[in-house]
Amino acid sequence: MRDEAAAQALAGLREAGIDFVSGLPDGWQRNLHELVEADPDIRYVPVCNEGVGFSVCAGAWLGGRKSALIMENSGLRVASEYIARISLGAGVPVVLLLSYRGDVGETEHWGIPHGIVVEPLLRALRIPYLVVRNVEDLKISIVRAFRISEAQLHPAAVLISGDCVWEDR
Amino acid sequence: MSLDRYGWLGRLAAAVPDDALVMSTYIGAVSFEWSALTSEHPRTAHLGQMGDVIGLAVGLALALPHRTVVCLDGDGSVLMELGQLVVMGQEAPDNLVVFVVDNEVYESIGSGEKGPRPTATAGTTDLAAMARAAGVPHAVTVQTAEELDREIDAAFFEGGCRFVDVRTEPGFAKVPPRQLDGFEDKYRFVRYVEHLEGIQILRLARQDRQLMERSDR
Repeated sequence: MRDEAAAQALAGLREAGIDFVSGLPDGWQRNLHELVEADPDIRYVPVCNEGVGFSVCAGAWLGGRKSALIMENSGLRVASEYIARISLGAGVPVVLLLSYRGDVGETEHWGIPHGIVVEPLLRALRIPYLVVRNVEDLKISIVRAFRISEAQLHPAAVLISGDCVWEDR
Repeated sequence: MSLDRYGWLGRLAAAVPDDALVMSTYIGAVSFEWSALTSEHPRTAHLGQMGDVIGLAVGLALALPHRTVVCLDGDGSVLMELGQLVVMGQEAPDNLVVFVVDNEVYESIGSGEKGPRPTATAGTTDLAAMARAAGVPHAVTVQTAEELDREIDAAFFEGGCRFVDVRTEPGFAKVPPRQLDGFEDKYRFVRYVEHLEGIQILRLARQDRQLMERSDR
């Protein structure tokens, strides 16, 4: 994503009090992973599979950490098994930061299925979400997603797209 | 050779330190037996299911690095998500020991005329070798009570990140089934962790908190 968007996303995680982040880097959020990994106040755990990342985040929450999972929206499909088992089954909050591949403006054919599936899948999993296409909305959207995730003890998501990732104006 | 499950779970339950935490599979009779052996103590979270038990335990161990975390999983569950071994090996928390009830079958689904359905560990798959290859510093298979006792002693007296695949006879003890769902299990465990650690995990609603802060009585 654009560097200023990555900086705003990190600021949102920090303001929310997120201190544990797992994830699998993708083309859009790679720079955010780098910022999070370098942040001394956040424990960063890279994974090779978003489902494992969700389980690790949920375990960390049970131990008192505030956790977030950063991934491409394709990863939601992988993580959905564990979101269903852990969060629909027991009520564990994790903030999800998702690249919105396949959103209007997409340039890659392989991103299209990711865009088709992600919002219906979030609704099926009863995960409230915000679609953020402006950089200035990113920080507060992450803070708000964290607030509802803690209030409902269930994940909440931020889908990142638009001017956060493209410089096409 | 392999071990009687209720017997070896009993040896482990007696050895787990009082101040340790346990992340257990919720699947089937392992959970029921562990509950019976531990009087359903809230230090155990029965929140893990197929493919997520070790992942949950890794997260818990990283969140509380000063606290011993025991993970109790089954062979079918480990096999479902082998990526868990990768993150366990990568992070290698010194305070985490995983015990796998490896009975080589999918026992909780029941048996038909041909007997229980086998898992891959009944064939060519070696979970301890896979854990070692993923970077877990100490990963072994045990088949006798003596080997198990050595691993239990090492886990709780020497520490270190450990994976112990316990070859186990199929079959389960007659114990009462658990009556808790995941939500109640979560609340019990989290409240216990809050008390144990002196931390707050479940937060009071902000509006309620502000109301109380305004009280002048």
